[in-house]
Amino acid sequence: MAAGAAGLGLLVLTAALALRAPSAVGWAVLVCGAGYPAGRHGGSDVWAATAGALLLLAAELASWSIDEDSRIETERPVLLRRGAFVTALALGSFVVGLMLLAAAHVAAGASLVVAGAGVLAAVVAVAVVLRLVRGVGGQTRV
Amino acid sequence: MTRTASPRLTSYAVLGVVGLLAALVFGRPELVALAAPFLLALGVGLASAATPRLTASFALDAARAVEGDEVTGRVTVAAAGPVDRLDVYVPVPQGLEVAHGDNPLALVLRPGVERELPLTLRAARWGGYAIGPLFLRARDAAGLLAWEAVVAGTRELRVYPREPTLQRVVRPVETQVFAGNEVARTKGDGIEFADIRPWAPGDVLRRVNWRASARRGELWVNESHPERNTDVILFVDSFAEARTGGAGTLDLSVRATAALADAYLRRRDRVGLIGFGGILRWLVPGTGVAQLYRIVDALIDTQIVLSYYWRELDVIPRRTLPPNALVVALTPLLDPRSVAALLDLRNRGYDLAVVDVSPVPFALRPAEGDARIAFDLWKLRREAIRHRLTSAGVAVVEWQEGTPLQAIVEEVRQFRRYAWRARG
Repeated sequence: MAAGAAGLGLLVLTAALALRAPSAVGWAVLVCGAGYPAGRHGGSDVWAATAGALLLLAAELASWSIDEDSRIETERPVLLRRGAFVTALALGSFVVGLMLLAAAHVAAGASLVVAGAGVLAAVVAVAVVLRLVRGVGGQTRV
Repeated sequence: MTRTASPRLTSYAVLGVVGLLAALVFGRPELVALAAPFLLALGVGLASAATPRLTASFALDAARAVEGDEVTGRVTVAAAGPVDRLDVYVPVPQGLEVAHGDNPLALVLRPGVERELPLTLRAARWGGYAIGPLFLRARDAAGLLAWEAVVAGTRELRVYPREPTLQRVVRPVETQVFAGNEVARTKGDGIEFADIRPWAPGDVLRRVNWRASARRGELWVNESHPERNTDVILFVDSFAEARTGGAGTLDLSVRATAALADAYLRRRDRVGLIGFGGILRWLVPGTGVAQLYRIVDALIDTQIVLSYYWRELDVIPRRTLPPNALVVALTPLLDPRSVAALLDLRNRGYDLAVVDVSPVPFALRPAEGDARIAFDLWKLRREAIRHRLTSAGVAVVEWQEGTPLQAIVEEVRQFRRYAWRARG
């Protein structure tokens, strides 16, 4: 079943790339992601962090491919920035995923609501830090 | 500035929420690990996105150019904050080409750093152009949000036709009263010998023809043909044109008209212009460089305007069509209204020469069938129109693309010379 979901997800992703339909990328990720737990039976799976990061990487690269217009001449720094951002995001999400799984493993009896709240908290924390960094950076340049 | 969201924003939010909900429902913690990256991407992307404060402008180094010339433009952009990706685009109208520079271009803008993007345009075709406006689209690092803005305003560029220099022009039958370069048929003071006559009180001594006087035993004087100017009206048919790709009969007509205007004005003749088409426009005859610029500016504005209504030549002021003027018409003979106007001019007694700017090279002959027969009939019809004009005493010469204009002018001169001999 996991292989079937992966195949279907790959098919949807290919169609999204061929037809340049960015909204279809989400569906491809959803199908692949749904097939992952179906292929794993119970227990805490440390490979989920890897799978999550890879799914995000696939979605980002597919969207980048669709967004890129060959008619627009793109300077090298633009490509390097986007590449660095995608790489950092994938690595960061892998680390966050590991932390969540570690937390879930340690607090085995804790509810998933707590885990979900933890994810949201992590995201908000990162967002606040970035906002602060951007704001401070703007002030120092005055 | 208009802000739009990428479809990824919605997709990531949905994936995150679905993953969390599924983890809660099925009790699988690894689903949280699958959903967390998308929520992280969403949070990071939205947190790092900020409305860019952009300043941009577009300028051209020159407002006038000649066909084939290159004109340098400059796009200047700057931002108060960092912009991870800025797409810059200047729409270039047809008739102009981008010779150097990238358009559109995606670049990174550092805060406070002004970027100047050179853009060299080549004027491929004459005409008046409005270049712009300037389109901008900024994106954040994650590409989740985009801001679009249009810098209003266009830059005008007038491209003048590159005309060949004519050495000889069509000689008019009648001249006018002012001094010029055309040898008049009348007799008076000049250089070209015309005749001799008996001396009359008032004749200067230097005009005496001593040899004739000695033979006749009384004083005889030389008479000359004076050099006078002429009035020339250039008639441009803008009812219809035949066009293939980037070239058409109107292009040839405009370039030829500019060349003829330049050649006649250099001879100190008075040159006027009539643009006969969906829009009737005229220019009163004048002389000098200023008149040349007026004519060329009027030609640049000449366009094919489809119209079922037209105005007769009667509405043109009399001083625009002076009597005894030479009318040189450049027409593809596609519209019967132009042919009727030309015959009307001939019937009014104007000295008329017609250059048939042939549309045949711009029309592909069908390979077979009724279309091929129709094409051949159309060519026969054109020949009949030319014959009708010729029968009315009008010099008509067909000009195909690729033939030098000077050769066509010589052909018109030859036609008129033999026509005079036939009439004489």
